[in-house]
Amino acid sequence: MTILRRTSHRHRLVLAGPAVALSLVLAACGGGGDDDKGTSAGAGSAPACKPSDGPVQLTFSTWVPGMEEVVKLWNADNPDIQVKVNSVPAGNAGTYQNFTNALKAGTAPDLGQVEYDSLPNFRLQEGLTDISGCPGIAEAEQKFVPWTWSQVDFNGSGGVYAIPQDTGPMALYYRKDIFDKLGLAAPTTWEEYAAAAKTIHDADPSQYITFFSQTDPNWYTGLYWQAGAQLFTNDGDAIGVDIEGNPAVEKVNDYWQGLIDDDLVAGNLQGFSEELYKAWNTGKVVSWVSAAWGYSTIRDNAPDTAGKWAVAPMPQWDAGGTAAGNWGGSSTAVLAGSDHPAEAAQFALWLNTDPEALALENKLGGLYPSSVDGLDIEALQQGVDFYGGQTIFDVFKQASAGVDPSFTWGPTMTDTYAALKDGIVGALSGNGTLDDATKDAQAKTVASLEAQSVPVAD
Amino acid sequence: MAQTIPIRTAEDPVLDDEGGGTGTRRRRRRTPGRGSTPASAPWLFLLPFGLPFLLFYVAPVAYALWRSLFKIERTGGIYGKPTEVFAGLDQYRLVFQNDDFISSVLRVLGFGLVQIPIMLLLALGLALLLDSTVARFKALFRISFFVPYAIPGVVGALIWGFIYSPGLSPIVDLLGKAGLEPEFLSARWILWSIANVVTWTYTGYNMLIIYSALQAIPQEIYEAAKMDGASNWRIARHVKIPSVAPALVLTGVFSIIGTLQLFTEPIVFSKIATTITTTYTPNMVVLSAGQNNYNYAAAISVTLALSTFVLSFAFLKITQRKAEM
Repeated sequence: MTILRRTSHRHRLVLAGPAVALSLVLAACGGGGDDDKGTSAGAGSAPACKPSDGPVQLTFSTWVPGMEEVVKLWNADNPDIQVKVNSVPAGNAGTYQNFTNALKAGTAPDLGQVEYDSLPNFRLQEGLTDISGCPGIAEAEQKFVPWTWSQVDFNGSGGVYAIPQDTGPMALYYRKDIFDKLGLAAPTTWEEYAAAAKTIHDADPSQYITFFSQTDPNWYTGLYWQAGAQLFTNDGDAIGVDIEGNPAVEKVNDYWQGLIDDDLVAGNLQGFSEELYKAWNTGKVVSWVSAAWGYSTIRDNAPDTAGKWAVAPMPQWDAGGTAAGNWGGSSTAVLAGSDHPAEAAQFALWLNTDPEALALENKLGGLYPSSVDGLDIEALQQGVDFYGGQTIFDVFKQASAGVDPSFTWGPTMTDTYAALKDGIVGALSGNGTLDDATKDAQAKTVASLEAQSVPVAD
Repeated sequence: MAQTIPIRTAEDPVLDDEGGGTGTRRRRRRTPGRGSTPASAPWLFLLPFGLPFLLFYVAPVAYALWRSLFKIERTGGIYGKPTEVFAGLDQYRLVFQNDDFISSVLRVLGFGLVQIPIMLLLALGLALLLDSTVARFKALFRISFFVPYAIPGVVGALIWGFIYSPGLSPIVDLLGKAGLEPEFLSARWILWSIANVVTWTYTGYNMLIIYSALQAIPQEIYEAAKMDGASNWRIARHVKIPSVAPALVLTGVFSIIGTLQLFTEPIVFSKIATTITTTYTPNMVVLSAGQNNYNYAAAISVTLALSTFVLSFAFLKITQRKAEM
């Protein structure tokens, strides 16, 4: 024992010197490192954005399937601006965290896929480059569906922080064969949808009309969006948070809480999981309220059900309405620290407006373009075999028109979503309700904004 | 530490028995100024361990500690310029007000109270079986008990996730045909499903540590016990188990540390189960906080590291006191 004591004592002495020195060095790094990378300097004149001399190499992180093929088109035509694609997991599945870390470390890719709901979050972290001064950007606005442009220029508050890529107007995917067999028409209202849920579950207790995903708070937010909820306001001076007690939120909560309580939706299937795909394939889950890009998710993961699905407009709160929610949709952002913002912006603009690129993105990646001309590309006018030849994009075009363009995201959406996800765990397991979830989301969002020293309106 | 002890005792075992006098003499010889070679030698020997230890252990901890003392202040409105300002222990105050963090700690503590004793009892039992004179194919069994530890944590968790999953698992299917409806991933069972995976992974590893301790017991003691008429059971109970008590303490400390760090299994299961929050374990709380607030995440990390240290140390002290009694 005495030996042990003595040796450990010596170790301590040996370590103390360098440890102190090292922590001082690190302290110096920590204090000064964050000050001078201000690329998102707020409103005012557009920052200079000059093209580079000579050949340029860009890196682009995205999770859209098939993006390598699209980028091949660009690389063939632009020998001086070569783009390298990194295929990464979906943003909330880890890529945003990696972006955040890489931005801090100064090793972020030149371009990254960022969903609209996460743009404010990255802007708050000074992770986006204001590209409004880059060639071609000033004229780009009219090329995009207006609400998508307001996502990237923050409702015209100064600066342009990304190029819109795709949108996720929502509709109802459903197993037409099963609905037909049970004598059900596509539900046009949420009331009809709940009635159909009961018919389906009564016919076969192992069968559910849909599942309630715990991992997709942005899906659930899309349902709020349709119901007319404004979760956030931004008057330029402060962010208002209106989640708890918002009548539209409570309406949606009550509805889904009812379905959960009556065991009319599957509560144990996680979104985008093998279990879900098996349930689709075997007809245990027979509809999905989802975004336009979801057409390829079902197509690619439930191949046994080809030809049996159809798409109908999202069920309405008021009979005869046309409101639709939006789930996801991404932008292509030039991340802070890129050495070639002009070229990166040029590539991003091409990627999201070139008809050939858009057609390929739709075919391989299921993207529904944000570009106005993109909505007229041939691929979107044709019937889709997997959906029994239905021209499904007509439905999404109509949905797109029904999306409330004024919906605003909070600047710390990751924390809002995390709180919602955690609350949904409680609601699905009977240890709470969806109203508890939104109450918690309100409190945690406000706390998170305050921690970021963002002014919060009362 | 481990290197110096055997060298000294092997070199001159009598010295330590003689105690104080020789000890001081040896120490004096090492003080700087009396010949530079002996003074720098230990530093050199320390280098392969010391340098990575400093760079990858001490430095990150020091950095986290430093960052945890700051907070963000923003000037110029919503998207204004952020600066980090010194905030003292502000972040720590928030950590102790964070209900999610506290319940995650309580959750893993409850987990540990049940899982660690079960795992260590299993490990001890397996080690005793392997060590018994009647055991056959010892090498084969030793390896097969140890194999789960050699499988990367994520892969192990994925396999178990598949086994637990109601829609995919052949085992759940079979149990269903037998009239049982196990819900391994339900809110009620998920923690214990995780405990099962952890037990599966680490029992063999702990068994190996205990087994090595058993191997170190001199055969003479067994012979003496046998001559006194002790049965195999009594030998195990009164000779073997007391002799491996230090190994059990060691595995106990490792397990406490491991439990507080629980991360891989719940993260993997959260992709398939709807019952795991983003703040399920303390490490997940850190990850979640790190999305928007590095300073806060650093404060949680430091708090977690300190509580792990305190808990392990308390466990050591308690078990030592017991041993002395």
